[in-house]
Amino acid sequence: MDGDKQTELYMRLNNCNSGKLNIVKKLCVTLIMSMLIIHTLTACHGSKETVSFTVPESFDESQNISITFWAKNDTNKNQTAVYEKAVSDFEKLYPNVDVNIRLYTDYGKIYNDVITNISTNTTPNVCITYPDHIATYLQSPDSIVPLDELMNDPEYGLGGSEVKFDSPRSDEIIPKFLEECSFAGHYYALPYMRSTETCYVNRDFVEKLGYELPDMLTWDFVWEVSEAAMAKDADGNFKVNGQKTMIPFIYKSTDNMMITMLRQLDAGYSTDAGQIEIFNDTTSDLLKEIASHGKTGAFSTFKISSYPGNFLNAGQCIFAIDSTAGSTWMGYEAPLTDIAEDALVEFELTVLPIPQFDTSNPYMISQGPSVCIFNKENEQEVLASWLFTQYLLTDDIQIGYAETEGYVPVTSQARETAEYQDYLSRAGEDDHHYQTKIDATELLLNSTDCTFVTPVFNGSASLRDAAGALIENCVKTVRRKGTVDDEYIENLYADVRGLYRLDRISGAGAGGPADLGPLPKQSVALIVCVVIAWICIGAAALIRYRKKRIKA
Amino acid sequence: MDQNIGASKLRRFITEYKSWLYLLPAIIFLGIFMVYPLVDVFVYSFEEGYNFASQSFFGTGMYNYSYVLHDPYFLQAVKNTFIIVIITVPMSTLIALGISLLLSQITKLRSMFQTIYFLPYVTNTLAVGLVFMILFKKTAYTDGMINLLINAFGGASVDFIDGPYWAKMTVMCIYTVWVVMPFKILILTSALSSVNPDYYSAARVDGTRPLRIFYRITLPMISPMIFYLVITGFIGAFKAYSDEVALFGVDLNAAGMNTIVGYIYDMLYGDSGGYPSFASAAAIILFVIVLTITVINLMISDSDD
Amino acid sequence: MDYMRIERNTKIKRGVTGTVRMILLVLWALIVLFPFYWMILTSLKGYGAYNAEYIPKLYVTNPTFENYRDAFSAVPLGRYFLNTAIFTVITTAIMLVVITLAAFAFARLEFRGRNFVFVIFLSLMMIPTELVVITNFVTITNWNMRNSFPGLILPSITSVFYIYLLKENFEQVPDTLYYAAKVDGTSDFKYLMKVLIPISKPTLITVTILKVIECWNSYVWPRLITDDQAYFLVSNGIQEIRENGFGRENIPAMMAAVVVISAPLIVIFLIFRKQIMAGVLRGGTKG
Repeated sequence: MDGDKQTELYMRLNNCNSGKLNIVKKLCVTLIMSMLIIHTLTACHGSKETVSFTVPESFDESQNISITFWAKNDTNKNQTAVYEKAVSDFEKLYPNVDVNIRLYTDYGKIYNDVITNISTNTTPNVCITYPDHIATYLQSPDSIVPLDELMNDPEYGLGGSEVKFDSPRSDEIIPKFLEECSFAGHYYALPYMRSTETCYVNRDFVEKLGYELPDMLTWDFVWEVSEAAMAKDADGNFKVNGQKTMIPFIYKSTDNMMITMLRQLDAGYSTDAGQIEIFNDTTSDLLKEIASHGKTGAFSTFKISSYPGNFLNAGQCIFAIDSTAGSTWMGYEAPLTDIAEDALVEFELTVLPIPQFDTSNPYMISQGPSVCIFNKENEQEVLASWLFTQYLLTDDIQIGYAETEGYVPVTSQARETAEYQDYLSRAGEDDHHYQTKIDATELLLNSTDCTFVTPVFNGSASLRDAAGALIENCVKTVRRKGTVDDEYIENLYADVRGLYRLDRISGAGAGGPADLGPLPKQSVALIVCVVIAWICIGAAALIRYRKKRIKA
Repeated sequence: MDQNIGASKLRRFITEYKSWLYLLPAIIFLGIFMVYPLVDVFVYSFEEGYNFASQSFFGTGMYNYSYVLHDPYFLQAVKNTFIIVIITVPMSTLIALGISLLLSQITKLRSMFQTIYFLPYVTNTLAVGLVFMILFKKTAYTDGMINLLINAFGGASVDFIDGPYWAKMTVMCIYTVWVVMPFKILILTSALSSVNPDYYSAARVDGTRPLRIFYRITLPMISPMIFYLVITGFIGAFKAYSDEVALFGVDLNAAGMNTIVGYIYDMLYGDSGGYPSFASAAAIILFVIVLTITVINLMISDSDD
Repeated sequence: MDYMRIERNTKIKRGVTGTVRMILLVLWALIVLFPFYWMILTSLKGYGAYNAEYIPKLYVTNPTFENYRDAFSAVPLGRYFLNTAIFTVITTAIMLVVITLAAFAFARLEFRGRNFVFVIFLSLMMIPTELVVITNFVTITNWNMRNSFPGLILPSITSVFYIYLLKENFEQVPDTLYYAAKVDGTSDFKYLMKVLIPISKPTLITVTILKVIECWNSYVWPRLITDDQAYFLVSNGIQEIRENGFGRENIPAMMAAVVVISAPLIVIFLIFRKQIMAGVLRGGTKG
């Protein structure tokens, strides 16, 4: 360019204060910068080195190790005390290890935090969790330590020679419970505590309605008695309890309800690999049956009506199904209670297994916390975590924690101690030996072989939530005077599938991008609106700029 | 001529350089803790199907956006968010304006009222949300205190927390307005008291009617603050999430009350390991929507000058 | 005669409007106060008594202070108070410096692309915290600043929200003041320190108090990056207390904690109330 043109351009560039040229210049610069940053960041995402774990020769006790333990409790101070005792006793045995405990009351929050920390390599060392969640953690390779090698190690394994405390051998852990923690061919967790669901029955009301309470409940029996209990007298009070409120059958956890019913009928829920089979005819029939009882008000759930125990204790419920780990809240003389003294109604409480379709082949779900270990670079750290995990299975801790609620220890060793046997025998003596709690515990001890678990895979937690949602939605609908028919159920299935993203587990969206089809109307409307808005903005800006130019 | 251009260029350069110096601390902090995450989000949104747990993704492309825009729950969330924004922002600004005007007209108990009105801002939102939930919730034993009030006036009980959509939306809007009021009242009372009283005296001498005084004097003088409240009100309302959780619990999709931010959050922590890619796509879409509306607002407020 | 009638009518009208005004104000005050009444009420109810009420009662039959005792004994609330105080003071102090400089640049200084940069700043306000939090978590962890005060403080410092507010405020200072100062040969910085800041003191105090409240109630970020109890803040304490029962949430204790935690904030607000409500720009250009 020659000199004059240069000067002119120069002047124009300089005299343009908020001119379009400058904005264009700035935009170019920003664009280039972002490209660079994006390039570097894309390289950052998704790269992680993995190191698999091998058991070291010996545990180096001169090395100071700090491990983190994320523990779940039921918002129960006694359980927290057990954890803290475990930590302090373990630290006395292994002075070089410092255990930092972090308390949670919700599995969901543990899950969220672990997921967040996986990406920054700051996962805890030991963590209490569900196998369902472990399946998700396993998506990150080498994040969780497979326990087979550790368990069988002669020195540091279960019952190993170099372990400083009396840890149970692998055959001293109840096999059924141990098997639950194995999937994809390896053990990834150890069971910590186990519980199951049980039915707390108000015997007096059952007999008042003219029925005899059998030793094993059936669904038909429960439905029949519940419907009978809905009879009201002339004043509008329920005949069976003389009060204005009566919900004969309350099931606390609807996901367990659906899963258990399907299992008892040997109907489809899911395969081990993750094929979803729950949307079948048996499920539809079950939903219709449940809805019919929800309609009369004979059946309700925790999410709709609140804790079954509260209603049971106030004489407003006959069959309350809840975990054995809630037994201290059940009954007229329950040690823990939420309701007023004068609302308590005296009655005889019987603890029975949950209703069955086939009483000769009972099934009840097995639930409870399990412990897993996360992989770290320092093998000594992992070994220390493993030792601590074993410590959680020692008698003191097992018995201590189990006695806080209706849990059972997972080791036969703990169960056979004189201390535990003595605890069981003193049923009814005081609050610590509350009759119902011990009844519930014994029920599980005797029925361990009837327990089952659902297959574990990445997304099994969503499927479980979906199962519960099916029942909840049906009951809510009939309570709002809607109908549950085939058409409703078809829609419900589609809704639930979308809500819990079950297609991502098995189906089109699992392995890669799915073919989604045309955009729904609202999306198109949204995009069109935004585009039009920007056109208008651009036009207005242009007009204003011209006006300023003219003024100047 | 060259020298003049050189000197003025130098002067301008120094002024600009100084300005950027003033801005530097803000730019550094914002850059690291806001811009960088935004770019991160932007990148995630193009990495298809990124799974947090497995730290892997399919490839790069527009799949995430497509997925999100096809998702009925996202569209439901957009609808909810829009309704909340359109109802609460004008309503809260108008009510705040009304209350501030009333306050400016009394002298005796003004500071007492102002302190009372500011209380909600001071308190922990978790606790306040809990209280609201208790007030509105229908249990097996009682219809909740608000329903008792409605009954006293002869209406039928409504299940606000677990009932029909319009009831839930009503509670949500009432709660949101209640929560944002303190800040707005604070700003507006401060703005109102900064209007030069000479204007008012002059207008009164002229015999102007109060409504006219309001339109011609008060409103223009406090309009920058009103625009500030409207703009920040829109932006804040689009980000609504924690208030919903306080009222309806964490499972917002099931309650049908999810918001865009709630959808993002759900995506981040999904049960199958979290999908920052979908969350990011949704976040960018939200960003574009809010940016559009803010720019429109800014242009309207500028044109008033 | 007409005159007296007019006067009487005006008096009645004024009386009516005055009463209506009072009624409206009192109504809103009640709406605002009721949840607090409920919180204090709940904090005075015993755990058993609270859960036993099917129909929430508007009064307390046996007021008890056990929740307040629990609040301090169950968790080290005193320690949390100290942590929160340190966090709040440092964050607010740094923030004031940063945003004053930035707001001044936007309001008063002329430079190319000012509007454009401001719109970019505004657009940063539109990013929801939930998203930013994850990346910041990764950043802070990579810098090894978890469980430390810098980790808590640094991301919480800047808020475009306050820059915007302060900029609006600075812009309302009339240009004549600026030009007068320039004629006197004052530098921009001196102008900022000696003229602009004193005039805008009420807004600055407002911003300070708002930031203090924000830091005091901050929950999401501290919870994410601290798991060492020595660094917990009071909001964490509230959650801990809530979960410190025997299997159910301990709501009365939580309410007691909330009351205790909100008290200092209310006190601070009461102290600085006059300055905040005083309004901006009284007599800047007079004379």
